Amino acid sequence: MLLSLRGISKRLPGSRGPRPALDDVSLEVQRGQIVGVFGPSGAGKTTLLQIAAGLQAPDRGEVLYDGEPLHGMSSAQRTRLRRREIACIWSQPQRSRLGVLEHVAVPLLVDGRGHRGAQRRAREALLACEVEHCAPAELRELSDGERQLVEIARAIVVEPRLLLADGPASSLSLVEQEAIMALLGTLAHEAKVGVLVAAGDAEALIGAEPILYLNEGRIAGCAPARDATIYRFPDRPRVAAADG
Amino acid sequence: MSAKHALLGLLLERPAYPYQLADRMAQRLGPAWKVNSGQLYQAVKALEKDGLIERVQAAPEHEERHVFGITEHGVAEFERFFSAGTQGVRLSRRPLLVKITFAGPQKLQEALEKLDAYEQDCARQLAQTARLRDELPQDGPLVRADHLLLRLNLSADVSQLEGELRWARHAREMLSWLASRDAIWPSERERADPQPQSPAARERAGAQARRELFGRMAGSQPGEDDPPASGRAAASK
Repeated sequence: MLLSLRGISKRLPGSRGPRPALDDVSLEVQRGQIVGVFGPSGAGKTTLLQIAAGLQAPDRGEVLYDGEPLHGMSSAQRTRLRRREIACIWSQPQRSRLGVLEHVAVPLLVDGRGHRGAQRRAREALLACEVEHCAPAELRELSDGERQLVEIARAIVVEPRLLLADGPASSLSLVEQEAIMALLGTLAHEAKVGVLVAAGDAEALIGAEPILYLNEGRIAGCAPARDATIYRFPDRPRVAAADG
Repeated sequence: MSAKHALLGLLLERPAYPYQLADRMAQRLGPAWKVNSGQLYQAVKALEKDGLIERVQAAPEHEERHVFGITEHGVAEFERFFSAGTQGVRLSRRPLLVKITFAGPQKLQEALEKLDAYEQDCARQLAQTARLRDELPQDGPLVRADHLLLRLNLSADVSQLEGELRWARHAREMLSWLASRDAIWPSERERADPQPQSPAARERAGAQARRELFGRMAGSQPGEDDPPASGRAAASK
């Protein structure tokens, strides 16, 4: 198993003392599998991904990466993993003046790879995400859709084994969301990368299997979803906009 | 700026023949104010037409030539010019910079050569202007205002040329460095390796890139919970 989260609990500081952000969450991602997690904002999706990335430690439970406890490693080892094997896409938008090609090459440059090779591989990753035409542009010049594809290119440029994506298609149209998910699906199935992807709505997770419903820090439902596009859970309102 | 007010200024001091005006311009204001005789006669004609200068009595030995003097109207115009606000510093738009900026990687070497020529020209003009300034006679016990003011004008030119020269040397270093790097150029795509533009072509190129990249990724990470690399992944290695 590539990634196992076992009984993860985490409390985060809140305005009225610590509040549970995650409560006994378990899930697994194998190579070639794309697992979706959806839930309203504040449900704990980002915390879950940060713990899976080793950026936060759980209060209880453990994260196994390739069978090894992630939080038993030194922080240098975890950093090394994040540079080479575990790629992350966070949802905050990039509006910097950095050029697209540089932005995509950064993870390789940070890891000490040569400039020329990093550029070549960044271009290849952009091509694979069909945004190579954006290479000479600046990040802030891109459309939302292009920017998300560029973020995926930046994540896969290191040729990771695990991809953690926090709302990679949020703020995009349904068609664009589907395109992003199709790309992540291809990445999982053809590159044998394990993908854990979070979104506000199940509709944004087409192609993921399983799709887990996270609410108030708990896994509240699971859908083995192959062809359905609307998922029903007893305690979840149908109207996506209610998620705020 | 045009030489109009400089000519009025010269005639304000004393009447002169047009050819004298040309000499005096450069003598008083420096080499930047050199005008050829064609430009000069045109300027004089325009000033006369506007009633700012007029022909005054010629000295007996130069009867066949016209001596010009400033009119009252001309004096008023000079006063107006003098009291008007002086334009602030204006940065110049250098054609050379346009060439350098848009040379791109292919013409960078050519741009460097142009920069070299510019640098040499700066150095040559700087040497000339500095020599002019240094050759100004030292005043005796009495101060010659025109000498001092010319020195001032030449200093302005020298300072500017020094600045240009310093910039040109700096630019040459930067461009040489840039030429030695594998830099990202804004227009690189159109120049080197034109990429498919149509969505269909982009999709095809994307699919090809994904086959290679993803196949390589799948092949490079065998895991215990997966079957051996598929035939396609193995074939693409």
